[in-house]
Amino acid sequence: MRPSRRAFVKWMTAGGISVSLSHLASAAGAPFAAHETLPGRGKFNPATKGAGRVDGVAKVTGAKLYASDFRANDLPGWPQTTSHAILVRANDATHVYTGIDLARLKGALKPSVVVTAADLDRIGTQAPEFYAGDLFCPPGKTPLYLGQPVALLIFETFDSFDQTRLALRDGSFVKFGEETGPVMAPDYGSYRFTRVAGPSPEKPDVYSPLQAGWISPRKLQNAALPVWSPLAKEMPADYARAAKHGEQIRAELAADDASLLVLDREFETQSVDPMFLEPECGLAWYSGKGGNLELVLGVQSPYEAADSLAFLLAKAAAPYKPAHINAQFAHVGGGFGGRDHTPFILYVALAAICFPGKPVRLAHDRYQQFQGGIKRHPIKMRSRIGIDRATGIIKAFAADHVLDGGGQANFSANVATVAATAAIGIYDIPKVDVTTVALHSRGVTAGSMRGYGALQTLTAIEVLIDEAAGELKLDPIEFRRRNALRQNGRTMTGNPYIVSVRTPEILDRLEKHPIWQQRAQFKSASSDRLVGTGVACVTKDYGAGADCSLGRVELGADGKIAIFCDHVEMGNGIGTALANRVGAHLGAIADDVSIARVDGYEILGLVTSGDPYTIDQKTQDAAQRNPRWVPRISSATSASVGAHVGTHSSAEAARVIFRFGLWPAALELWRIPKTDSRARRWASATWQNGQLTMPGLAPLALPMLAATAHARGFVTGAIAHSFSRWAWSRARFALFGEQYRAEIDALAIRRGNGRFERINRSSVKFPPSDNNRIGTAYTSMCGALVRVEIERATGSLRIAKAYSVLECGTALVPEVVMGQSQGGFAMGVGYALLETLPPFEGGPGGGDWNLGRYLVARGSDLPLRDLEIEMLKPLTPDEPPKGMAEVVMVPIVPALINAIFDATGHRFRALPVTSSLLKGVLA
Amino acid sequence: MTTLSLTINGRKHGPMDVRDDLSMNDFLREMLGMTGTKFGCGAAQCLSCAIIVDAPDGTSTTSPTCVAPAVNFHGKSIRTVEGHAKDGELSVLQKAFIEHFAFQCGYCTAGFLGEGQVLLERLSRNPVPREALEQTIADALDGHLCRCTGYIKYHEAVRDVILADSTRYLIATK
Amino acid sequence: MISDGPFKTIAVIAALASSLCAAYAASETTTPALASPESFANIGETEKRSAAIFTELGKVLTHPRCTNCHPAGDRPHQGDNARLHQPPVTRGADGHGLEAMRCNACHQNANFEPGRMPGHPDWHLAPREMAWEGKTAGDICEQIKDPARNGGRKVEDLIDHIGKDTLVGWAWKPGFGRAPAPGTQEQAGALVEAWAKTGAACPAP
Repeated sequence: MRPSRRAFVKWMTAGGISVSLSHLASAAGAPFAAHETLPGRGKFNPATKGAGRVDGVAKVTGAKLYASDFRANDLPGWPQTTSHAILVRANDATHVYTGIDLARLKGALKPSVVVTAADLDRIGTQAPEFYAGDLFCPPGKTPLYLGQPVALLIFETFDSFDQTRLALRDGSFVKFGEETGPVMAPDYGSYRFTRVAGPSPEKPDVYSPLQAGWISPRKLQNAALPVWSPLAKEMPADYARAAKHGEQIRAELAADDASLLVLDREFETQSVDPMFLEPECGLAWYSGKGGNLELVLGVQSPYEAADSLAFLLAKAAAPYKPAHINAQFAHVGGGFGGRDHTPFILYVALAAICFPGKPVRLAHDRYQQFQGGIKRHPIKMRSRIGIDRATGIIKAFAADHVLDGGGQANFSANVATVAATAAIGIYDIPKVDVTTVALHSRGVTAGSMRGYGALQTLTAIEVLIDEAAGELKLDPIEFRRRNALRQNGRTMTGNPYIVSVRTPEILDRLEKHPIWQQRAQFKSASSDRLVGTGVACVTKDYGAGADCSLGRVELGADGKIAIFCDHVEMGNGIGTALANRVGAHLGAIADDVSIARVDGYEILGLVTSGDPYTIDQKTQDAAQRNPRWVPRISSATSASVGAHVGTHSSAEAARVIFRFGLWPAALELWRIPKTDSRARRWASATWQNGQLTMPGLAPLALPMLAATAHARGFVTGAIAHSFSRWAWSRARFALFGEQYRAEIDALAIRRGNGRFERINRSSVKFPPSDNNRIGTAYTSMCGALVRVEIERATGSLRIAKAYSVLECGTALVPEVVMGQSQGGFAMGVGYALLETLPPFEGGPGGGDWNLGRYLVARGSDLPLRDLEIEMLKPLTPDEPPKGMAEVVMVPIVPALINAIFDATGHRFRALPVTSSLLKGVLA
Repeated sequence: MTTLSLTINGRKHGPMDVRDDLSMNDFLREMLGMTGTKFGCGAAQCLSCAIIVDAPDGTSTTSPTCVAPAVNFHGKSIRTVEGHAKDGELSVLQKAFIEHFAFQCGYCTAGFLGEGQVLLERLSRNPVPREALEQTIADALDGHLCRCTGYIKYHEAVRDVILADSTRYLIATK
Repeated sequence: MISDGPFKTIAVIAALASSLCAAYAASETTTPALASPESFANIGETEKRSAAIFTELGKVLTHPRCTNCHPAGDRPHQGDNARLHQPPVTRGADGHGLEAMRCNACHQNANFEPGRMPGHPDWHLAPREMAWEGKTAGDICEQIKDPARNGGRKVEDLIDHIGKDTLVGWAWKPGFGRAPAPGTQEQAGALVEAWAKTGAACPAP
């Protein structure tokens, strides 16, 4: 049973354009959705026995799956021929852009269409705020950043496109005039996080962001950096109050106090590229004259993508304004954050809008992906830490972070706050003051990337802690243990975590591990090689504070299960995690798992308003009176939310099917009347080998239960929406004579073979708007040990052995958790030792960067047979899954830097530490 | 333009006229619609575009397709990811990749699959001692980039296929 | 916005001299020339003249186009800044790469411009004893005269090897994004010839 494909569901509208995220009904050929629904009914499903992923067969057989696999002739109903576009970008951001010179293109090499800033003015496009700035740099202006687009060239045939891209690849046809220097623009956000704990842990904080809200200094002068002083004129009162506490902390750190060890250190991180293997691409077709705009895209944020496209064209002039936008989303070939909120999709749409009637493909090659793709923020950090020498207890911490956000705002402000609130790592520090600012620069735009600011600041703190332990002559693990935040301790924003905090356990594992135990003997064993051991332990948030998911689960009369989810499969195994989580309720693994689906939930009739991050309580209270209102409809697959959030709605939908479909069916088959006390013991039933079992009763196979549920008109399908702001929304629904309570805020059910019907919630409790003052309440922990060997003569570094220990609650697909950990290790090694991009001239914005010049970790860079990963068992059998895809990367980086110090005696304070730098300090 | 005929996964294609500067990658993906062979870097750095080339003497090698003109494959016989399964039955290595959760996003999978398959066939002709196995696998796969997995599960999958049929792939040691 | 042929929409068409194949052309124009053997005629002493001619030839021999594949170790380098070759390949038994990564898997019979991939039918690494990486022209000179380290060649054989060998000749036609070796292959060959005929003296190391 597939969801209805009523064309162009008016699910949301912007500027009079209806936006559907549905799929065109098609009589002939496999519709796009069929390619993306895995493994498909009747096909081999490796996940059934836990022996593979639901997308396993598709991925080893080269099935069409990724956005880059589709051409117009793969899509039913589309014209057969694909046209191709080149997105031309500026490779200079300090001179006036004067235009492009295509004189070298003759005959067939001439583009059919050239789209420039003037065309967009005529069309009347508008750039979404997230991508503020000119979509194309107009002649006469200095480009806002390196890699800013200046034009789209569209070619009707592949051959002319292919030959032209060769003719234009030197970039010299993009012309510049007089030198202006880079464009100056305001910063993207500046914040101060200050906390002063009470006299004892039980006492309330003297000051915290949770109590007082998040604060920013007022922009006072036209200078590159904010003025942080509370004494500055016109500072808002709330800012001045925090800043006074902050300055007091800094004064204490600066005071001449012999009892306090104070370290004042800088640390600097570099720009890197997510380097997902599938470069960004998209396919679009505009029928013209106010008709339909169809797109095939691959992003981590499908709903945002559709929303941005609607905004882009909402005020377009008549022939360019589509009546409908139908966006379809594919599996993605890696994301790592770099496909969350990407402006690339806007240019895919523009290519189609400007070449009506013809499907157009826009695809980056790798040079272009380096030139235009989202990067990780470089951060300059200065940290001061004060530790009581007698007890080894950390008393105070102050830091200043300056992030380079590159050319567009994107997520820079959020990355700055996540970086800041992560800055004290696993530690319990009573006095903290951190300022953070994300600056505009002419660099390529930085945005979301695995680790999201926390990677940078956690590396700095773990390197600093290592140094402090050395100064105090304390064992680094013992020092960490003394200062680790306990289960109910307060984070820097003043709230405790609401999930398990297992730092002590992780530190114990690290301490007992042979790599740590044998560190001294290995260090002294070698002569031509320096050997060193490093440790690090971190905690990393997961979730973004306004996360949601949509899930739809259908159970056929034959017991076959289909799942639809709005989250995206980017390799993280969400499809398999969905199947497993639903399977826990329904006793079988789904045959159809359809991800990145933002259609199929229309019956919920969801509406939203306001910004979930800034809404006030009164507005939220008023809005929630509408039973169809939710703070947000769909959010991106990012921030390690796949397991925790992405699967949540589908799991809750499955729970409803069990409770009101399979359980009543079981009672019938067991001939247990509703009055029997056993009728309420659904929680005692368990699935074993596809059979529902209860002590003393005959096991019942799922197909029999499903057939009974269908025959008797019990619940056989459910659609749910859930929302989390550091806590789930909870609601009650009147179902079959009872008030059903669940951690969802919208529900629809299907009885038997009927249609889905919405069940309006009878009451709802959304997490309070003040939760927006929390930095994070969800966190997971990971510790790492590495032993490195460095050749004295060459500086060549080999990782001899490594160990990583993590906790992530219940692992939905343990093999994927292991794989993510191994992959996080590899990316950590690349970040620490190999990867770097010059930020400005000579960097990727020039359009001449590729792999080879940019080094990511290969197999030969890694201890493939000497990496041990340990996953702690969940604290309780029902501990919910915790996000882990980011945290596993983080401790690898400081552990390596600490191991290098142990080996060489040199403490590196900037990344990456390349072999030539090592050679330099060993010379 | 040059006339091109070749055999792909046992099926003859051509003769057809192709531009001399058309890459093999674009020939497969744009002209034939065979998109199982991926495009990653266009510079022979990631090898997600690699295919198998079968020589007349029964040996095989992998070749990146992004840096080679299609016309260089005239008269050759190649295998792509679409051709490993026979009559719907997955190859041993395909099954091992699935069972080991070897890939995540899967974009590099076609390249690793081709390289691993060539290694298996090479070892079946020229077995190596058990103690050389891991390094042999590491050397064979090192040209291929994977950004998701950290490589370990790919290596384990190839190794386990070999160990499961050690008389075929390894020199017997007493 | 749809143009019917000429580019109505191009806002600016700067007057520009031939920019076709600009980078290749540009890199060629920036290539330093080689002095001719005749230009050393003013050096009276034959041995000094010979050494000076070799020093001129040294601009070629120490160029990354040459040293990248005459590496000091077993791994070639690449690019104008001579970074280590990626993917990581070593010379292997015959200088043509490893069993699982042969040179000609990527380096085909000729340069393939769309992939920026250099090529030649005999693409391979110079033998280990012919390592030039990091050496001065004087070092290379001594080495290149030594049959044990020059592939068993007589000095006269080097005239054709450097002046006519097509793999050597690739250094002057390296394709997009790579600076060619200085001068032309003919000029380099002429320098070798003049050097040999003047007694093949070496500059001070």
